[in-house]
Amino acid sequence: MLIGIDVGGTFTDGVLFDGKTIIASVKQPTDKQDLKITLLTVLDDLLQASQGGVIQRIVFSTTLVTNLLATESGDKTALLLMPGSGLPLDSYLFFPYTFFLKGSIDFRGRLLEKVDPVEVEKAVEAIKAKGINRIAVVCKFSNRNNTLEREVRRIILAIDPQMQVTIGSETAGQLNFRRRIVTTYYSAMTQSAWESFSKEIEASLAARNIQATIDILKADGGTMSLPVSRSKPCETIFSGPAASTMGAIALTMNPKNSVVLDIGGTTVDISLLIEGRPLYASKGATIKGQYTHINAFSVRSIALGGDNPIDVADGVIKLETMRRGPAACLGGDYPTVTDVFNQKYNLSIGEPKHSQQKLADLIANTGIDMETLCQTVEDKVYDRIQDTIREMFLEWENEPAYRVWEVVNGRKFELKEIIGIGAASSAFVPGLAQRMQVDFRIPEYADVANALGACVSRPTLALQVHIDTQNRIYSIDQDGISDSIPNVRSFQIKDAKELAMQNLVEIAHKRGMESYADEAEFYLEEQFNMIRGWDTAGKIFEIGVQISPGFIQEYKGVSK
Amino acid sequence: MKPTGLIFFPAFDWAISPTHPEREERLLYTRDQIFEEGIMDLPEIREYKPRMAEKKDIARVHFCVPDIEAQITEAHLVSSGSSLVLADAFMQGEIKNGFALVRPPGHHAMTVAHGNRGFCNINNEAIMIEYLRKKYGLRRIAIVDTDVHHGDGTQEIFWHDPDILFISFHQDGRTLYPGSGFADELGGPLAHGTTINIPLQPRTTDTGIHYVLDNLVLPVLEEFKPELIVNSAGQDNHYSDPLANMCFSAQGYATLNRKLAPDIAVLEGGYSVETALPYVNMGIIMAMAGMDTSNLKEPDYSPSSFKESAGNMEYLRKLVNMQLANFRQREDVIDQNRKNYKKTYKSRKNIFYDTDGIREEQSTQLKMCADCAGYRLIDSGAQHHRWGLNRAFCISIPMFACPECQAQASRAYEEMSQNQGRYNYVYLQDKVNDVFKCMTTSKKLETVL
Repeated sequence: MLIGIDVGGTFTDGVLFDGKTIIASVKQPTDKQDLKITLLTVLDDLLQASQGGVIQRIVFSTTLVTNLLATESGDKTALLLMPGSGLPLDSYLFFPYTFFLKGSIDFRGRLLEKVDPVEVEKAVEAIKAKGINRIAVVCKFSNRNNTLEREVRRIILAIDPQMQVTIGSETAGQLNFRRRIVTTYYSAMTQSAWESFSKEIEASLAARNIQATIDILKADGGTMSLPVSRSKPCETIFSGPAASTMGAIALTMNPKNSVVLDIGGTTVDISLLIEGRPLYASKGATIKGQYTHINAFSVRSIALGGDNPIDVADGVIKLETMRRGPAACLGGDYPTVTDVFNQKYNLSIGEPKHSQQKLADLIANTGIDMETLCQTVEDKVYDRIQDTIREMFLEWENEPAYRVWEVVNGRKFELKEIIGIGAASSAFVPGLAQRMQVDFRIPEYADVANALGACVSRPTLALQVHIDTQNRIYSIDQDGISDSIPNVRSFQIKDAKELAMQNLVEIAHKRGMESYADEAEFYLEEQFNMIRGWDTAGKIFEIGVQISPGFIQEYKGVSK
Repeated sequence: MKPTGLIFFPAFDWAISPTHPEREERLLYTRDQIFEEGIMDLPEIREYKPRMAEKKDIARVHFCVPDIEAQITEAHLVSSGSSLVLADAFMQGEIKNGFALVRPPGHHAMTVAHGNRGFCNINNEAIMIEYLRKKYGLRRIAIVDTDVHHGDGTQEIFWHDPDILFISFHQDGRTLYPGSGFADELGGPLAHGTTINIPLQPRTTDTGIHYVLDNLVLPVLEEFKPELIVNSAGQDNHYSDPLANMCFSAQGYATLNRKLAPDIAVLEGGYSVETALPYVNMGIIMAMAGMDTSNLKEPDYSPSSFKESAGNMEYLRKLVNMQLANFRQREDVIDQNRKNYKKTYKSRKNIFYDTDGIREEQSTQLKMCADCAGYRLIDSGAQHHRWGLNRAFCISIPMFACPECQAQASRAYEEMSQNQGRYNYVYLQDKVNDVFKCMTTSKKLETVL
């Protein structure tokens, strides 16, 4: 049996799934002060429902790191940067305790300037004097050559072996120094909190005598094992929306061009599925206004949901933003958006007559009739959702293109259906789909789609390999891996792809996800001839290969 | 503060030939540099997606023989369309300025296009300028060509246009392709003085180029008062460029763009793909975005490497004074030309298309109009290796033509297109009405854009 638990900001959802049917689902308010307690409460409820059945896999999605970042309560961390030539240094002052060092690498991975050990020592002394014991070290182009980052780490550890050092090339090896700085810094800052959380979870499971595999959901909709997650705490952020989107795919199986609307009490989360695949944020997850190298779904949140109260003041119909409790039909005191849809479309949610009554009270003596009230609220709600969907389409269609064929062929998103999940989706979605003239689906178990999404998602792994045959080296954007290549003269695109695949298999093996390696696919194949004078001096390849988001092998859908 | 618009279009799937300087690799390291810098993440920069230019945008500038399809690839449409995206963004007030970091380049492409010369088929800047004038009603525009090669295509296209100020500084044509751009090339009889050339001696440094900028280019711009300034931004004045012999640096380029403050810059040449382009492109983007460029330098650059010679400074002083005088006397010269040439001004020239190995013979008759820049009749013949001898008769009505010139030129087209004379193709480029016609005389087939 499988368990999926999504610890959200307000509620924590869990499901117990036997591979075919959802045996139990649990919903609990989240205790923000102690996520572990919430998580274990939900877990224990599910374990009870399993009646002693063997649990093979447990997947968590948690907001722990998101909360740490939001409240800036991670460890105090210093930043040692080697920016070399380029943008002005003050453009890298994202964080306190930032020090700039000598040392520079170029785009081919050539060493331009060495590290000055004395300068490093001085910086480390200054950092220690501030009582800081974590340092993130990031060099521009360290993804092409990480010797300087490693050299600085060596010097730091020689001075103080207790210092915790995180380096950029091992944390975020894609091109983009700024995002590498932000990602490495936040990883260093949240590492110990995540590690102790994961240890506590392990201990709690051991105490319950559970032998299951424990996986953590990432922002990219894939999972990683708990041990792997220790060096990648930041990848756990924004896993809630990823859980929901994966859940929507899991419940609909093989969706086409769709919009997933996760409609809760006060928010609507919107994500896009393009030919069934979730759309990613093109600049990575954004943390506190800064782009990162964390691969995350492109999700837009609107502060709008089933619980937004309706108000009429001076003849003007308004949507209020502060929640005042549940919808009238569900026992609340104030009429909400849910009541409007309930009334307008006879949805039979809760007690429909309470919807009608509270709405009628609201418009008494205002000269506004019920039809106008419902229509106005509906228009306000749908306009905002539709505008946001349209913006997301446009943004995707207008993403920069660097090849002729991409511009010539263009991009056009043709929406086929809306998939509604979350508690309030049955109120919102039918009318919206009608208005947008597309199909819709609100699958069964839509209210626990997030937990199911976590439960059945498979591990993901994406890596990009940069191969430079003139310099006889290759480097990978994961874990700071680089090495030399043999047979330089005869190296062709097929060799490059083979090398990338070989590395993917090795990393997959290390991360305990080798059974998915044969599902890896190439997503990038670039080849450049380097001409110096009139002769070919070498080749540069960029190869991307990935195990993309999907479901564990045994998942074939939920049966009724 | 509005952002700087940027289109980065490296055309990673387009090359003239595998080992040609215009190959896929050209902007590879620039990509690495600007992506690693993360400059597109900054609020000062907004990245735009390219689009394809329309055929009509090209017909507004060029007579493509036999037709537009024969002269371009899709890459050319994307490259020229990119400048149009930025032109729209600029005119609609979304950006404070824009840089089309795109290939293929265009500044050697002339009005009549039989093939590729100097790596160019169609002229990106000219296409953008005529688009801006047609769509937004601009009239006076200045182009400063900062490529090391003379921008002979752009010069030729606006040679007879007194509203377009074309200034080019470049390595002396006696030492470098295309072998033109001498100080006495000052424009057609009715547009004298709005073409200004500054041939520079090989190994001219930042100091020399900035002397020209400060003492000639900027004062002339100040007096001309253009509605828009375009930088035809080649990067091959750089000390490491393999195809030229100058000594300009990335800092020099950054400072140039800060002073010049172009509204739109369009990449032209520059073939030092590793040592110059990543740094020069960063410099131009940062300068246009108003950022501090003092932390930018090439790895091998040392400020003491290049020193301007006293002799060269003396040469530049004389040249600058002479060109300032030419610019300031332009109206007198134009008045004199009207008296000298009476009704029609005729000229002849030979054009060699180095990339495609085509020779064109061309004669032009310009109507010496008292009220406008005058329409042109161009008789062009080129021996093409695939199509044999192509003869084209091209009639061009300028953007701000008077009604009489429009009528006369239209009549000329009616007459010429009905006679199956010695011309394979007869073209009408009516920029006033934005109508572009081509008659294939052997088939009596007319296409209209």
